[in-house]
Amino acid sequence: MKEGFLIEQERLEHEAAASLKSSGLINDIIRYFRKKSIFVLAYGTGCGAIEMPPTFTSRYDAERFGIRGAATPRQADVIVVSGYLSFKTLRRIIHTYEQMASPKYVIALGSCTINGGMYWDSYNTIKQLDKYIPVDMYANGCMPRPEALLEAFIALQKKIENDEEPSGWERYLENIEWYRQNQRAVLGEDIKPAYEADWYTEGR
Amino acid sequence: MNILASLQPQLCDKFETQAFDLKRDDLAQVIVEKKIWRAVMDYLKEEAGFVTLLTITCTDWIEEERFELNYIFAHETKRCDLMLSFSIARDGESVQTLTDRWPQAEVMERDLHEMFGIVFEGHPNLASFALENWHHTPPLRREFDTLAFVNEHFEFRKGREENVDVKAEAKRLRALKKAKAQAEAEAKKEKGADDADE
Ligand code: SF4
Repeated sequence: MKEGFLIEQERLEHEAAASLKSSGLINDIIRYFRKKSIFVLAYGTGCGAIEMPPTFTSRYDAERFGIRGAATPRQADVIVVSGYLSFKTLRRIIHTYEQMASPKYVIALGSCTINGGMYWDSYNTIKQLDKYIPVDMYANGCMPRPEALLEAFIALQKKIENDEEPSGWERYLENIEWYRQNQRAVLGEDIKPAYEADWYTEGR
Repeated sequence: MNILASLQPQLCDKFETQAFDLKRDDLAQVIVEKKIWRAVMDYLKEEAGFVTLLTITCTDWIEEERFELNYIFAHETKRCDLMLSFSIARDGESVQTLTDRWPQAEVMERDLHEMFGIVFEGHPNLASFALENWHHTPPLRREFDTLAFVNEHFEFRKGREENVDVKAEAKRLRALKKAKAQAEAEAKKEKGADDADE
């Protein structure tokens, strides 16, 4: 007999497989491995960070989907922004995000990242995360349960596999000026990193 | 005997306290003038045994144009706290730092500087603490209008199209449910009457 979590896993993976569109053998292989080895940066911002340990440890065991933690931004594929962001944290998030190697994805957890949540009238937190860094997947709720986080990951895997729309980092490169402008509006002029990397000047 | 109650006459003898307010058995507030607060504090620390500084807070009495600074101390051996308060002008009056007596006052004063704009003389580092690059009014001063600030600096995401007023919707659903229950009850009654007729 199958245990509950195995049934759940089958369902989720089955759904993901059903929506697959092929685009050549090599691409399919690359995407398969990309999807099955998601390394998540261990960085928590708001209250939502408390839902990540159960997701990654034995109770919900995200590793059965190939999702596991990474110690540094340079090794990570996904950053989970787990809740409200104060200006001070936003600066660190941008810094971290730009250090990650592409392909990279952002999952935004909780209603605070969507429209400010219950911090909507706070002077020190941002209200819409996707004005500052590109978001690939939202999990709404205050706060979302680990199941919701897992479903967000599966949805992200589907997105990676199908490669439909430009993913977040591509949008970030294209619209860097717009993002920078929004970032400057709340953080002031001295945004780190201050360097002008190739990718930053390339598109202009 | 209660230590705070016995402290009251000693303290009032020695210093010109404006008020000694015994709020609870284990909690009291002493209000003094600004010019003697260091002396009172030294007395409390050296003689009366209030050796731990728990926190420093500030109350903004905007109508009276003053800040009230509250230093809260805990006793060495007994379970009781004492609050030493004095007032300063809201603008342009600085206070001597307490970092020479309690090193932990550093963060507390830094925080107060950031949130209320109070300047602490002799403080080693009054750089920004939780807020970075803040050029507006210090946010915990009461003249700072949070909502206006938020409206000016942020855009809100539009709600969903089918967005409904939750309260009105709940009321409507409750009314529907009630009407339905009533109709059912009536139908039952009629049916019962019919049965009885037969
Ligand atoms: S959405 Fe709720 S749980 Fe998540 S960070 Fe905001 S307030 Fe906290």
